[in-house]
Amino acid sequence: MSLHRAGAVARRIVLQFRRDRRSLALLFVAPMVVLTLVGVLWGSAATNTVRVVAAGDVDPQVLEALRGTEIQLSALDRDAALEELRAGHADAMIEIADNAATVTVEGSDPTRTAAIVGQVEGALIHLILDVPLTAFVKVSYLYGGPDYSLLDYLAPVLIAVFAFFFIFLLSTVSFLRERTSGTLERLLATPLTRGELVAGYMGGFALFALLQALVILAFTVFVLKVQYRGNLATIFIVEAVLVIGAVSLGLAISAFARNELQAVQFVPLVLLPQVFLSGFLVPVDQLSDVLRAISAVLPLTYANEALRSVMVKGYALTDPLILRDIGILAAFALLMAVAAVLSIRREVA
Amino acid sequence: MDVQVAVEARDVRKRFGSVTALDGLTLTVSRGEIYGLLGPNGSGKTTFIRTLAGLLRPDGGDVHIFGALPRAAVSSGAVGYMTQAAALYGELSVDENLRFFAALEGVTDVGAHVEDALRRVDLLDRRRSTVSTLSSGMRTRVSLAATLLHQPRLLLLDEPTVGVDPALRREFWEHFRSLAASGVTILVSSHVMDEASRCDRLGLIRAGRLLAEGTARELVARAGTSDLESAFLALSAAPA
Ligand SMILES: Nc1ncnc2c1ncn2[C@@H]1O[C@H](COP(=O)(O)OP(=O)(O)O)[C@@H](O)[C@H]1O
Ligand SMILES: [Mg+2]
Repeated sequence: MSLHRAGAVARRIVLQFRRDRRSLALLFVAPMVVLTLVGVLWGSAATNTVRVVAAGDVDPQVLEALRGTEIQLSALDRDAALEELRAGHADAMIEIADNAATVTVEGSDPTRTAAIVGQVEGALIHLILDVPLTAFVKVSYLYGGPDYSLLDYLAPVLIAVFAFFFIFLLSTVSFLRERTSGTLERLLATPLTRGELVAGYMGGFALFALLQALVILAFTVFVLKVQYRGNLATIFIVEAVLVIGAVSLGLAISAFARNELQAVQFVPLVLLPQVFLSGFLVPVDQLSDVLRAISAVLPLTYANEALRSVMVKGYALTDPLILRDIGILAAFALLMAVAAVLSIRREVA
Repeated sequence: MDVQVAVEARDVRKRFGSVTALDGLTLTVSRGEIYGLLGPNGSGKTTFIRTLAGLLRPDGGDVHIFGALPRAAVSSGAVGYMTQAAALYGELSVDENLRFFAALEGVTDVGAHVEDALRRVDLLDRRRSTVSTLSSGMRTRVSLAATLLHQPRLLLLDEPTVGVDPALRREFWEHFRSLAASGVTILVSSHVMDEASRCDRLGLIRAGRLLAEGTARELVARAGTSDLESAFLALSAAPA
């Protein structure tokens, strides 16, 4: 392995990339735009105001008692109340007859339904027992806190997904271009070895990948003001190992594409399972056995676990869980690098 | 191993699936010689040159360059390979492309060598130009310069003058001549007959086999024709 030659490849990648405004924008601006959108969407700690319409005759006292900080109650006749519910102006309709309350909800979004029913039930219990709910239920937080937003919870995963996605895409396409433009063949007719070529690519891309990781991290922490606990350097180390794996995966995958369109077709194939099965949308321990087995071979699963543990729970770099995750990510990067080297052999002896 | 032999290929066979690209090709190129590999499209010229460049492993037979296996010869910097289509990085300047290839070849004093190579292909004034903005003839010249940087002892030139205008073609050949005079061995493929007469020796290949070998004059005499083109046709028609 000649560092001189691998370094020449890395330098060339950096040179080419610096000229490529579109890729630079994709790498540095796109994640910020998307994160800002996500921040606006999920950034505020959830306001759980539930709009309830009471149908028919409701005791004004009950009405008054149900109206709290989190529930907006208005009384209408039954048809009008139903109409409000259908139009989405109200979250729930409540009818009281024979000392029983019937709650009707719109019901298409299970998560929202559960939240609404919970609130209304809580308020009704409170009404029946005639004690403030807070008198007997106190919530205390092991991690996070009452002002913790969905963004705070998702930020670690988003960082990982972006870093992985953009770097994977770019390294796949640029190595593919090397293969299809004839320059790969030309390179292999010099003293450069396949290992040096892959190492050079990884070096060149790692530079941009790490810069990107820094930018995303700084943006999430300082601009979006995502709350985090652990050490920023630890977060960065996890990201760094992840993106280096993304580069080598990209190099290996490019062997299976004949043109850039085909390369882009690999993106959903690589990305979607990781979005669904890495603990981003559904916690890994809630997956079925088959899905969990798949999730166990996805790098983002380990990156998510590590980043969440550090950012949300404040784990240190030396924590066995974090070290294990970093080790697995490093092994993945190495494995894919070997696959990339072998994939070059497939076409040229 | 004979020190006067630059390339020695014996009974080289290579198949791609059902296509036989090289079918027992045997030929020898001496040091300092310009050897023309002449044959129609699809006759196996590129395949043979890629084998010499260490890019393809033959299915049978063996190949030696200066007595070594092709990959070893390439690794030692003895070989310069100019691909059929210019293989350059379009986003980079001429200078950056050449510096990159020089680094891969382990060239010391890169600046001087790049300048020297550019002067030889008469592109010194375009060294800052981005390659994608160059004409195809200029790109071919850059491609040749990239092959010369490390002063290889064997040049493999795959149809170097395709798409090159007559004036530049003449320049290229003068250049090849002077390189050969300084001891460089050149194996050049072509399917243009008038060009072939400039080679020291010719190998006519068809369907991956050597049909005839010799100087242009010898081949014409053997075929009993008036020019090389008809000689080639006559020799191709004869059972190999
Ligand atoms: N990588 C390859 N895969 C499949 N067939 C190939 C490959 N390279 C060359 N061939 C086939 O081998 C034959 C010789 O091709 P080539 O060496 O490129 O000829 P030439 O350079 O003389 O035009 C052709 O039939 C070509 O289609
Ligand atoms: Mg060819």
